[in-house]
Amino acid sequence: MGTISSALSIMTGALDNDQAALNVVANNVANANTPGYTQEVPDWQQNAPIDINGVLVGQGATETGATSQRDRVLNERLDQQQQLASASGTRLTALNTVQSLFTPDSGSSSSTAGDIGSDITSFFDSFSSLEANPTDNALRQDVLATASTLAGDVSNAAASLNGQRSSLDQEAAGVATQVNSLTSALAQLNLEIQSASPNGDAGTLEDQRQQDLSQLSQLIGINQITTENNGLSITTTSGQLLVSEGQSFQLTTGLVNGVTNFFAGGTNITSQLESGGGELGGYLTARDQDIPSVLNSLDQLAYSVSTQVNALNNSGTDLAGDNGNAGDIFLEPAQVAGSATAMSVVMTNPDNIAAASLGADTGDNTNAVAMANLANQTIVNGETPSNYYSNFITALGSTVQQVQTENTAQTASVTQLQTQSNALSSVNLNDEASSLTVFERSYQAASQVFTILNTTMASALNLGEQATVS
Amino acid sequence: MRVDPSYITNLASSLDQVQANEEQLTAELSSGVRVTSIGQDPLASGENVLLLNQIQQDDSFTQSSSLVTGQLQVADSALGSVVSQLTQAISLATSANNGTLNASDVQSVGNQISGILAEVESLANTSYQGQYIFGGGQTSTAPFSTSTATSPATTTYNGDADVNYLQMPNGQQIQLNVPGDQIFLGSGSNSVFAALNSLVADYSSGTVNTQQAVNDTAALNTALNYVSQQRVTVDNSITRLTAASDAVTSEQTQLTAAQTNLMQADVAQVSTQLSLNETQQTALEDVIAQLGSTQNDLFSKITV
Repeated sequence: MGTISSALSIMTGALDNDQAALNVVANNVANANTPGYTQEVPDWQQNAPIDINGVLVGQGATETGATSQRDRVLNERLDQQQQLASASGTRLTALNTVQSLFTPDSGSSSSTAGDIGSDITSFFDSFSSLEANPTDNALRQDVLATASTLAGDVSNAAASLNGQRSSLDQEAAGVATQVNSLTSALAQLNLEIQSASPNGDAGTLEDQRQQDLSQLSQLIGINQITTENNGLSITTTSGQLLVSEGQSFQLTTGLVNGVTNFFAGGTNITSQLESGGGELGGYLTARDQDIPSVLNSLDQLAYSVSTQVNALNNSGTDLAGDNGNAGDIFLEPAQVAGSATAMSVVMTNPDNIAAASLGADTGDNTNAVAMANLANQTIVNGETPSNYYSNFITALGSTVQQVQTENTAQTASVTQLQTQSNALSSVNLNDEASSLTVFERSYQAASQVFTILNTTMASALNLGEQATVS
Repeated sequence: MRVDPSYITNLASSLDQVQANEEQLTAELSSGVRVTSIGQDPLASGENVLLLNQIQQDDSFTQSSSLVTGQLQVADSALGSVVSQLTQAISLATSANNGTLNASDVQSVGNQISGILAEVESLANTSYQGQYIFGGGQTSTAPFSTSTATSPATTTYNGDADVNYLQMPNGQQIQLNVPGDQIFLGSGSNSVFAALNSLVADYSSGTVNTQQAVNDTAALNTALNYVSQQRVTVDNSITRLTAASDAVTSEQTQLTAAQTNLMQADVAQVSTQLSLNETQQTALEDVIAQLGSTQNDLFSKITV
């Protein structure tokens, strides 16, 4: 009798278990498209058997909850790759904008507006043309016109780069705000997780934490350190503490020399963040490394051309009777930095172009020959202006190509890791369907056994008598 | 073995990639340019700058040289006229020197030579496009003027000895002018004007001092040879300029071909790639549509 009662209670337990398992399946299916959700598998625990007269009798099983199927190592690996891919992706976007300023000129003999290489050649060619007829007004006008085109294109390119630099600056500052809100959320989650399940996986809270970590990895380069009681500490790649279990440390921003710098505690961590990864790393690399390098090259070009041409013009004779002080053609730059942005033509009277050499008559073309020859002299950082510009283009193009290659490889790696992670953690509807069938059958079986046990008990109660209990 | 249930997402990103390729290829085909951004082919982009630079320089030189050739040819033809004028003057002087002419005929020869001197001076003051070509660097005022204050008259040179050169792309220089004092005043002993002025003075009175006239005629002969020699400089410049122009033009043609090769899209290749790309795109779209539409999971098969 007792055994039938205990069998009945075991079956009741089985029915409860199957219901709980069905709940888990239903929850999985409902969350099939929830971002960051990790599929759960119900846990079964056999109940401890009891000893009756030396015989061990089983007590059925209990459904003790559900385990999330996650691989922490895989997730961390995915986060690390994501950091790299985000960094190179952001840097690539910025570099693509930069390289669009220098699209190769596909024309053959005529100069296309907007190409600095052609402008340099046209400018020095205008002096070559002037050699043939040094006093001709039209040819002199042409010199000033080509000078204006060159100065205009160089200063426009520099202005665009400066504009891009400030917009990158703003975006980087925006990322810091997002990082701060994520680190606060993570600290909060850490507290909840540590109090709810210090010794095991925390289910949906873990899912949320993983989701936040993955978002944070895209924004900034981080290292994750698991601490006791299922806690987590997060530092930047260079070791600055962002989250320490239940406490988060905010990044602050401030202007230094006109650009936004980032501080953790009181320390300026901008240069470390630059190489750290994530979108922030990409923005900072483009802002502090790529763009200044391009600007510096343009500055060198503008400075050398302006100073050399001005110097030659001031050592000749012009049509207006000036002998050795004909004036500057370009605005004379004070230093290399900023000379590209400031490059402009200040001469308005074509008569002030000193085509003749010092002390010669106005029909002399020696100075015009010298100025045309500047195109073949190594006046810009040890190279001729054309060679310098050509090497600059190749260098910039190579950088873009390199970042492109890195980004492609890293994105492919992220995709691969994401696939692996999905295979483990995503809800597979086929699996859920088969689990559903299994648990449903199991429920049916348990209820069938219950029915049979019930009948058996009725028989036992009725023992020997006609059907009083049925 | 476990599979990624969201593999369709990966297909979608492949589709993006294929579409991006298609855009790139279409842009290449429509513009005819293979390298649309410097990141695509950095070496080609850098090389392109240098090629275009050289092509533009060659083009500019070709234009300048045609301007300058005009000026040199005018100088050459002026000197040619001077030579024929001087030849005529010598024959006139010779006829006056042989003593067969009477006084009025001699005076008439003197007048003719005076006319020839004026003509030679006018030729020495030739201008081309408003610039006096025999004035050295002094191109805004006429270089030669004759003053009859002395007897014989004196022709003075108001220009300078400046010589202009045109720089060729290969670095060599072509002389663009010969200063007038060098041609017409020689170094005193070859002076055309001195000889002509002396002859005019010799025949003005009608009586010929034969010895002096013969000496002056011989001086004029020497001066004529000297002018012919100076003319050679101008002719040389024209020859060199023509040769340089031809060389530069052929270099420009070669460089243009090289630059085109470097930067131009290979239409056949791009068309083939575009066609393959479109096939791939259609195939991907079909796969995605197929997988996404039909009920392929177990749920649809379970009947409860």
